[in-house]
Amino acid sequence: MTTLELDGVHTYYGESHILQGLSLSVEEGEIVALVGRNGVGKTTTLRTALGLTPPREGTVWFDGTDVTGMEPHEIAARGMGWVPEERRVFSHLTVAENLRVAAHSAADPDARIAEAYELFPALDRFADKEAGDLSGGQQQMLAIARGMVGDNDLLLVDEPSEGLAPQIVEDVVEALRAASADTTMVLVEQNFRLAMDLADRFYLVDHGVVVEAGETAGVTSEDERIRRYLTA
Amino acid sequence: MSLAPLVAVVSQVAPLVDPGALLATGGAVEGIQTAARVLAEGIGKGAVYFTIAVGLTLVFGLMGVLNFAHGAVAMVGAYLGGLVLVLVVGANTGTIATILVFFVALALVFAVTTAAGSAMEVALIRPIYDRTPTYQILLTFGVSLIIEEVARIVLTLRGIQPDPQWQAPMATAPDVLLGRTELLGIGVRRLYLFEVAIGAVVAVAVWAFLTKTLYGLYIRAGSEDTEMVQALGIDVRQAFTVVFGVGTGLAAVGGVLLMWDPIWGPSVLLSIDVLLYAFVVVIIGGLGSFTGTLVAAGIVGIADSVTTWLFTTGIVTFPGLSEVTIFLLLVVMLIIRPQGLYGVEEVGGH
Repeated sequence: MTTLELDGVHTYYGESHILQGLSLSVEEGEIVALVGRNGVGKTTTLRTALGLTPPREGTVWFDGTDVTGMEPHEIAARGMGWVPEERRVFSHLTVAENLRVAAHSAADPDARIAEAYELFPALDRFADKEAGDLSGGQQQMLAIARGMVGDNDLLLVDEPSEGLAPQIVEDVVEALRAASADTTMVLVEQNFRLAMDLADRFYLVDHGVVVEAGETAGVTSEDERIRRYLTA
Repeated sequence: MSLAPLVAVVSQVAPLVDPGALLATGGAVEGIQTAARVLAEGIGKGAVYFTIAVGLTLVFGLMGVLNFAHGAVAMVGAYLGGLVLVLVVGANTGTIATILVFFVALALVFAVTTAAGSAMEVALIRPIYDRTPTYQILLTFGVSLIIEEVARIVLTLRGIQPDPQWQAPMATAPDVLLGRTELLGIGVRRLYLFEVAIGAVVAVAVWAFLTKTLYGLYIRAGSEDTEMVQALGIDVRQAFTVVFGVGTGLAAVGGVLLMWDPIWGPSVLLSIDVLLYAFVVVIIGGLGSFTGTLVAAGIVGIADSVTTWLFTTGIVTFPGLSEVTIFLLLVVMLIIRPQGLYGVEEVGGH
C-alpha cells in the first residue's frame, strides 16, 4: 500500500518556484531517502507533504486520502510525523513535556512515552531537564522520539546527522533504525553514504524535480548518474 | 570645557529640592518601618501591574500579537464591574455581601470579555495573521480608539463624566478596604492587601493553567514554535482564539481590580494608562514570559512605590518624576537587554 504520494507538485516561497512538478511515492514500511545538493527542494518536499508549505499545483496523497490543502495539524493528526532540520525541540519545556505535547494524539500517551524512554534511556534520565539544556545529540534523540510517540504511520526526518559528532551520528542512525521498525520513513540527508545505508530506495532531487530514483543497494556517490547531481 | 550648561541645569533643579524635607525625611529613609511600608505598597502596586499585564504577555507569547486594545478592555472592565456594583450595592449592603458582589462582577466581566475577545480574534485578527505585525498593531490600535470613543459617547449620554473619574463604583468600596491596617508593625493600606490577594489568585490560576493543563502545555510549546506545534497535530488557531479570549478577559479583570483603587478608578483615560504600564511590565519582564511578567511587575511596583515616596515626601517634591523613573527603567532595559529579563530573542510568530 502506498503511504505517501506526491503527484506533480509545484511549491513556491513567494515568487521563488522551488518544487517544479515533483512526483514520488513511498510504500508502507519503506525508508526512502531524498538526496541532492543544498537548495534543490528536499526540505520543501517534506514541508509540502505536511502542508506547512502547501503546493500551488499538484496533489499530495497520504494513506489513500487527498490531503492537498488541508491544514498541517489535520495532516499530522492523520499520522504524519516530522523530525525537522535543526531539531526544533521546545527548549523551555522539559524532555517529558516535549514528549507529552507530541503524544497527545496517541491512544495511550503514557505507554508511548514509556516506549520512547525504553528506546532512548538517556531521555528517561533527563526527563525533568529542560530540552534546551541537552546536548545536540540528545536533542536529536528527543526530536526523533517526539516524532515517534504520536502513533504516526509516516515519519518525515530532515537532516538528522547535521552538526553532530560521528559517534553521536551512529547513535542517531540506530535510533532511526529502531523507529523504522513500525513506521514508514522519508529521510532527507546530506550524508549520502549514511542515507544509502539507512534507506531502501532513494530519490535524487535537482532543481525541484526527481532526476534519478531506485534501490539503494550498491549505489555510491561515485556513480556517474549520481555524482553529476551531487557536485556543484 | 565650559561648565555653563551644567550650572544652568543645577539652577533649574535646585528650587525643586527642599533642604528642610531632606533633613526631615533623612531619618525616615533609614527607618525600617518606612522602608517596609514602602516595600509593602510596592508589592501591592506590583500585584495590580501583574494583573493588568499578564493577559498582554499571554497573547504575545503564543500569537506574537501586540494587542493595543488591551488597555481599552481594562477600561471597559472597570466600568462594567462598576456598573454591577452600582446596580447591586446599596447603602444597606453589608461588607461581606459587597465583597461577594465584587467577585460576582469579576467573574461576569471575565466571562463576557473572554467571549468578546475570542470573537474579536476570529473576526478581526485571524484574517491578518499572514500580514506583517504592523497590520495587527494598527488594527488593535483602531479597535482601542473605537472602544474609547464608544465609552465616551455612552458616558456622556448617561450623564456620567468620564474625566477625571467616575466616582460611583469607588463609593461602593466597603469600609473594611479603606484606611490602613497594622501588619507586623507596619501600617499597610487594606486595599493593597486586597489587590495582592487577587493578584496572587490570578497568578496562581494562570500558572496552574499554563503548567498543569494539557492546553497550557500547548500554549507554552506554541509560544516557542507555533509551526512545530501544528506539525504535531495541534490546532493552533483554536489555541489562538482561546488565548486571545483569556488574555482579553484578564485585561478586564485588571480593570475591575482598578475600579476601587483611588489612584486609578474608572476613567476613559484608564485605557492608555493601563496600556502603558502593561507594556512597561511585559517589556522589562520579556515579551511572552509569564515569570518575567511576575518579576517585572514586582520590580516596577516597588520602583513606583519607592519613587512615589521619594518624590512626594522625600528629597525632591515632584510627583511626576515617579512615572518618569518607571519609563526610564524601560529605556534602560531596552538598551542593555532588549529581550527583557526572561525573554528569548525570538518569540511568537507563525
